[in-house]
Amino acid sequence: MVGFHVGGEEFALDVLRVQEIIRLQELTRVPNSPEFMEGVMNLRGKIIPVIALRKRFGLDLVPPDKQTRIVVVEVNGTVLGFVVDSVSEVLRISADTVEPPPRLGKVEREYVSGVGKLDDRLLILLDVDRLMAESGEMSATTALA
Amino acid sequence: MNEELSQDSSLIQDFLVECEELLQGMDQDMVALESSPQDSELLNRIFRAMHTIKGTSSFLGFEPVVRLSHCAEDVLNAVRRGEIQLRRRAMDALLASRDQLGLMLQHIRQGGLQEYKLDSLLQELEDAQKPEVAPSLGELLVRDQVITPTTLKAVLAEQAASPEPRKLGQMLVEKGLSSPLQIGDALARQKEIAASAAPSATLRVEARKLDELINLIGELVLERNRLVQLGRDFSSGSLAAGDLNSFLGQSTARLSFITDELQAAGLKTRMIPIEAVFRKFPRLVRDVAHNLLKEVELVIRGQETELDKTMVELIGDPLVHLIRNALDHGLETPEVRVQSGKSRQGSIVIAASQEGDQIVIKISDDGAGINPERIAEKALEKGLVTPERLRQLSPGEILDFIFLPGFSTVEKASDLSGRGVGMDVVRSNLKKMNGTVEIDSRPSQGTTILLRLPLTLAILPVLLVRVADEIYALPLRSVVETAQIQRQNIHCIEGAEVLCLRGETLPLIRLQQLFEDKTTRSAVAGNEPSRGAREQSWKAVILGIAEKRIALLVDHLLGQESTVVKPLGSYLHHCPSVAGATVSGDGRVRLVLDPAGLITASEALDYDRRSSAAPKVSA
Repeated sequence: MVGFHVGGEEFALDVLRVQEIIRLQELTRVPNSPEFMEGVMNLRGKIIPVIALRKRFGLDLVPPDKQTRIVVVEVNGTVLGFVVDSVSEVLRISADTVEPPPRLGKVEREYVSGVGKLDDRLLILLDVDRLMAESGEMSATTALA
Repeated sequence: MNEELSQDSSLIQDFLVECEELLQGMDQDMVALESSPQDSELLNRIFRAMHTIKGTSSFLGFEPVVRLSHCAEDVLNAVRRGEIQLRRRAMDALLASRDQLGLMLQHIRQGGLQEYKLDSLLQELEDAQKPEVAPSLGELLVRDQVITPTTLKAVLAEQAASPEPRKLGQMLVEKGLSSPLQIGDALARQKEIAASAAPSATLRVEARKLDELINLIGELVLERNRLVQLGRDFSSGSLAAGDLNSFLGQSTARLSFITDELQAAGLKTRMIPIEAVFRKFPRLVRDVAHNLLKEVELVIRGQETELDKTMVELIGDPLVHLIRNALDHGLETPEVRVQSGKSRQGSIVIAASQEGDQIVIKISDDGAGINPERIAEKALEKGLVTPERLRQLSPGEILDFIFLPGFSTVEKASDLSGRGVGMDVVRSNLKKMNGTVEIDSRPSQGTTILLRLPLTLAILPVLLVRVADEIYALPLRSVVETAQIQRQNIHCIEGAEVLCLRGETLPLIRLQQLFEDKTTRSAVAGNEPSRGAREQSWKAVILGIAEKRIALLVDHLLGQESTVVKPLGSYLHHCPSVAGATVSGDGRVRLVLDPAGLITASEALDYDRRSSAAPKVSA
């Protein structure tokens, strides 16, 4: 699992899904794109969309700092990048410490596949497939607006 | 062999000639089938050919030929009836059968059939008839002897009994029955098997095209070596900076040349003659004309024109629709034609040609043409346009309404044309290929539809422009001209800006308006270009699609480039003004704008501005 922070919460993604983690690069904004789309960037010749997770989770945007990173993941056949506040480390969360998600405040329950406990940290396990499936619908409705 | 008949060599000669012809036709048809696996026309033809070969060879007692053609016929029948899909396995088996049959015929010609080991081929044909199912993970692991069947059974039982869904692979690893590596391997293989069951993604390429490719790669290697040597010489101090400069210049020029050639040669390998699509039209036209009781002469030209394979696959449906339209709505019945002084027989011409970096396909008929008045009526009826706007449109522009979704002047969607493939779908299919469709029609004279496709799918010569802080790329083929304009040339008519250029009035658009986006970093408040009121002259790029022209206001013209356009991906394809993106020389992403989308968007803006009370037009 790769741990990262967004908006004060710590999340985790299956390390096998993560292609790479890179520093924040120049993004090109795409007009009339969904709200959470920060833009697109050039990843060694491939153009990938980049999503601001803070926006996606309905949080306020903060100016990026030295810790800000882009986590590159493949979801549903597309390679995308997620802007996160910072990346902590690669961790192993033992299966028996994972519990089903309780009612969480800011992040919608559907994108969370569980909550893991590591020492005294609480890690929210993110289900990127579902996150992006919803986003697909959202971007479709944006277009019609 | 049947003794009496074997003596009648003329019978055998006839048999050989007929079968060889059938096999040759089958060869061509199978190649075409690879591009359009759904084509029932082709399938039927191949099936009938195989059936005939089976029949006549059985009559003459050529037993191996009978056995093979019989099995092949079974496979073809299964595909025809939709029981199985024409996948790589089936295709390979059929091609191998065709070759084997050819060989057998050759032997008959040379003296007689030989002994053949047909078992493996026959088995392949048998297998091809079974629907492909990827084995399960458990099966694969047992096959590889990673776990025993009994163990698998036990774990599966446990999996079924578990309240929460658990993955088999995970369970096995936890129990120490297999390693993550073994599971990974098996999963990968399972994926492979499932993928190979997918429709054939192979292509036949002329050897000569591949040779050219290899030659160019050789040149590339040589130039690379040259550069490596240059680097070494320079760092070892045996090369002066001045010399390095000139050698580097030479190398870059050479590399540019080789890369361009390589690009073209690479793309050429994917190109096949458009004949693959055109071949089914004669039959189609004959059948449809027959059903409609119309007399038609079909002329096909330019069959050897080559197109990228993907485009050949995509262009089939739109072309069929357009032809059916021509037959159904365009051409009149013989009686009506004679009455209007035309010949009884109508004609449809389908012509393909290459014009510069475009492929142009023309479909014209000498039928009744399209009446702009009827179109205008329909458009008014459906609320797609207001009477005022209608008055400003030329007949050519009115014809464009046909391309709007939901538009159809035919009251009843006939079985032929109304299959859910309207003109709007034709246009959007063309757009997917970066192509365009235009329509020209003269009432009672006929209609011509012009399809334009880029020669190469991905590479586009573009014009780079700067607007505010962003650099955008405009497809060069849509750029009519660029002009330096003065403030005085810009006027405001009914709230919309227009540009007066040499007496012509063009709608003027500023990108910031179209891209109104509160989070756009380069969004500028108000209507002034970012350079401010200091500048008295700006630059405008005149874009044109078919008859429509607009002027785009830009700050700087940055030059031309030939670049690879990449699609933006599934989450971003809802921006109509953006065709894709490209990576510029400095590694940044530049958006490639879509002139047609810009024109539509500006029209919508215009329309909104002028009549905010009226219902919104869906453009």
